Amino acid sequence: MTNLFDPELLDRCISCGFCLPTCPTYALTGDEGSSPRGRINLMRALDTGVLDVDDPRVKEEASFCLGCRACEPVCPAGVQYGQLLETWRDLQWTGRNRPVIAWALMTAAARTSLLRLMGLVRRPARGPATAATSLMLGCFERGLFPGVSRAARRLLPGLAVPADQGCCGALHAHNGQSHEGEEMARRLGEQLPGVVVTTSGGCAAHLASVLGRDRVQELSEHLVATGVTPTGEVRVDGRRARVALQDSCHLRNGLGVSAQPRALISAVADLVAVPGEASCCGAAGTYSMLRPRDSRRILDPKLDAVEAAGVDYVVAVNPGCLRQLDTGLRRRRSRVRAVHLADLLADAAGGQALPRPRRRAFRAFRAG
Amino acid sequence: MSLGQDVIVELQAIVGSDHVRTTKGDLEPYARDATPLFRGVPDAVVWPRTAEEVAAILRLATRRGVPVIPRGAGSNLSAGTLADRGGIVLVLTRMTTILEVDADELLARVEAGVTTAALAEAAAAKGLLYAPDPGSRTVSTVGGNVATCAGGLRGLKYGVTRNYVLGATAVLPTGEIIRTGGRLWKDVAGYDLTRLLTGSEGTLGVLTEITVALLPMPATTNTGVAYFPSLADAGRAVTAVIADGIVPATLEFLDAKCIGAVEDYAHLGLRRDAGALLLFGDDGHADAVSRSLDRIGELSTRHSALEVTLAPDVARSEALLAARRCALPALSRLGTLTILEDATVPRPRLAEMVGRIDEIAGRYDVSIATFGHAGDGNLHPTCVVDRHDDAAADRAHKAFGDIFATAIELEGTITGEHGVGAAKLPYLQARLGADQMALLRRIKAAFDPAGILNPGKLGS
Ligand SMILES: Cc1cc2nc3c(=O)[nH]c(=O)nc-3n(C[C@H](O)[C@H](O)[C@H](O)COP(=O)(O)OP(=O)(O)OC[C@H]3O[C@@H](n4cnc5c(N)ncnc54)[C@H](O)[C@@H]3O)c2cc1C
Ligand code: SF4
Ligand code: SF4
Repeated sequence: MTNLFDPELLDRCISCGFCLPTCPTYALTGDEGSSPRGRINLMRALDTGVLDVDDPRVKEEASFCLGCRACEPVCPAGVQYGQLLETWRDLQWTGRNRPVIAWALMTAAARTSLLRLMGLVRRPARGPATAATSLMLGCFERGLFPGVSRAARRLLPGLAVPADQGCCGALHAHNGQSHEGEEMARRLGEQLPGVVVTTSGGCAAHLASVLGRDRVQELSEHLVATGVTPTGEVRVDGRRARVALQDSCHLRNGLGVSAQPRALISAVADLVAVPGEASCCGAAGTYSMLRPRDSRRILDPKLDAVEAAGVDYVVAVNPGCLRQLDTGLRRRRSRVRAVHLADLLADAAGGQALPRPRRRAFRAFRAG
Repeated sequence: MSLGQDVIVELQAIVGSDHVRTTKGDLEPYARDATPLFRGVPDAVVWPRTAEEVAAILRLATRRGVPVIPRGAGSNLSAGTLADRGGIVLVLTRMTTILEVDADELLARVEAGVTTAALAEAAAAKGLLYAPDPGSRTVSTVGGNVATCAGGLRGLKYGVTRNYVLGATAVLPTGEIIRTGGRLWKDVAGYDLTRLLTGSEGTLGVLTEITVALLPMPATTNTGVAYFPSLADAGRAVTAVIADGIVPATLEFLDAKCIGAVEDYAHLGLRRDAGALLLFGDDGHADAVSRSLDRIGELSTRHSALEVTLAPDVARSEALLAARRCALPALSRLGTLTILEDATVPRPRLAEMVGRIDEIAGRYDVSIATFGHAGDGNLHPTCVVDRHDDAAADRAHKAFGDIFATAIELEGTITGEHGVGAAKLPYLQARLGADQMALLRRIKAAFDPAGILNPGKLGS
């Protein structure tokens, strides 16, 4: 097999290695092969036929990579790693080689009828079918965190929320079906009128790559762009809440949005900077399910840092990250709670009561 | 060559089986470094953790005649970590402990795999400066910096890595662990092996620990930029600055092609109508810095600068330095194959050299942009061609051959900071002469009788 990759994309890399220090998987192994530059060299070897998709290391790296794209903003040569990875997984994860869990999730997400059913049972936001701006419900967010879209609509009551919207296909694009993923995004673009607002950083980046940057806005970006100032305050134990942010990789590295969520949090609570907040939490789409052990190795130091910072809440701007942080914090019975940005802002405005941070006594008990 | 199973088993016994890799897919990422076009696949990649492990590996290699290629971050631009005859790539990136930073003695002691930036940060945390600052500092390792004697943007005032290495622990190819130098500036006992190892490009020994000198952190730094109608004008300004007795920390230039590329990429608001720009910066006490920058501005204006601006604040100053640091990537966006080279001439001949480079580029019909360190005559002619155009790449190589010959003719050298590696070995004899080459080989043989350490590079 040769010339599998777009040569324009592959040739961009000048092998300078500037991406190495930002890559979470390289940090785990210290092995060039699990760095962006090393993976690009594996792709080059695939491209020239030196290695093939059955090579165990090639297989391993295609799935070990988080797809977090932390390697992109630091790359001086402008390598579009995310796009290369999609092509790689298209080649790699075909037929029997596709991870079963990813396949099952993708099949479910692609079934609009199933999503509609979920919409009936879990009751996410509802609204008119047309307006200048619409709210995307997301496939898994609809089922897992239906409150998030309700909170978002409370903040932005004018949004259209068509009930018959499908999945954006980000899941597919990142799991070896980039063509399908693109189609789904296009279809969703037809179902949703006007500018599409999403509460998921991952969906925003994928949708924007297909529908164009002008048509897609992540919630925080939209709020700031339209000048919506958050009102109220989030309080814990009679004081202003201390809140950390976990960036969504694709939002930050793909779309360059990182200041907006911070500005919004600062308006309603005390924003606390936590080391590593910009690096991947290990959720990475289906990663936490496909590679739970590696996912935890990436999450654990992050949770240590969050706990050490003494915050009440850690905010996510993506449902996958929210689930990852929530599961991790629960597992260690942390007093810190993971919440979605929409929930935090809605709570500040007096709309919704967030779960209270757990009492510290519990930790002491556990430590004792 | 390929390694016998018994060698692999021994390697595994030394560093643990997790730290030896030998499959095709494991080796492929180590078949290159940052040097374009060079490729060489090793037979094994090994990650030692201690000097003792390195010693055991080298003893084994010497016994079995297996090439060993030390590697830091693989960011070198001279094919210095190329495994062109197979063998073991010895990766030092697991050795990342900062052993001490001492503010009283003004020194730091680090393992070889610590990155330059990590060392600089640890020093800064104690109010100290680690002066060498190669453009690759966030990636490159201190071991790699010492092995290549890396330079950077502060070269004029502060020199290169060599000026800061006080001592080192190195493992010889035969397995002895030696400690050269120590913690002192003044120490003249014996041959200066610390200096010999510095810049030896992994051909004489494997550095495992390094002691470097630190400086007090300067109170302020500032930067300015002067635009000139031509590089020759800029060159005259540089001569005037030095003649005036000013030694600024930074004195860098970009030619017109580089200005255009950098501006296209980074949108810093540089003047595109200039034939060249000089970036100058200094550090120290605020009034001294402003005095020296003002003076450089004056002298530039007197030497036909079109415009001189000083950075009003730290952010603007950083943006200007970024312009210089991003010259390579900015140029790389112009094509698919970017060959950056490194040559040095005496400072007064800089403009002449650039003129000759332009002429050579014309003769071979390739586009060569040049930027570099005006203060120390170190320039980086950079050629951008289409990766799939073999004829153009070939012409580029011929052009560089002429450029190196010209540098030597102007009493300069074929590399000022990137090293010789495999890429420049063919030009080395022209610079050193046959007798010195023979001495180099004798020195190499004294350290490495079996010739296993980074063969095909310096000293081969
Ligand atoms: C974008 C870019 C900018 C750069 N800017 C500069 C610059 O401003 N100034 C400059 O001088 N260089 C620069 N370089 C070149 C490069 O970064 C330096 O040569 C750097 O010192 C290499 O460090 P490394 O850790 O990557 O070493 P490697 O590339 O891994 O190795 C370089 C050489 O050192 C040897 N080596 C590495 N570690 C050891 C060790 N522990 N013991 C013995 N030998 C060892 C290797 O065998 C090899 O010969 C730049 C490179 C890039 C890509
Ligand atoms: S930073 Fe970009 S150009 Fe450099 S090695 Fe990484 S991907 Fe390649
Ligand atoms: S996407 Fe993330 S994990 Fe993958 S190579 Fe880039 S930085 Fe590393």
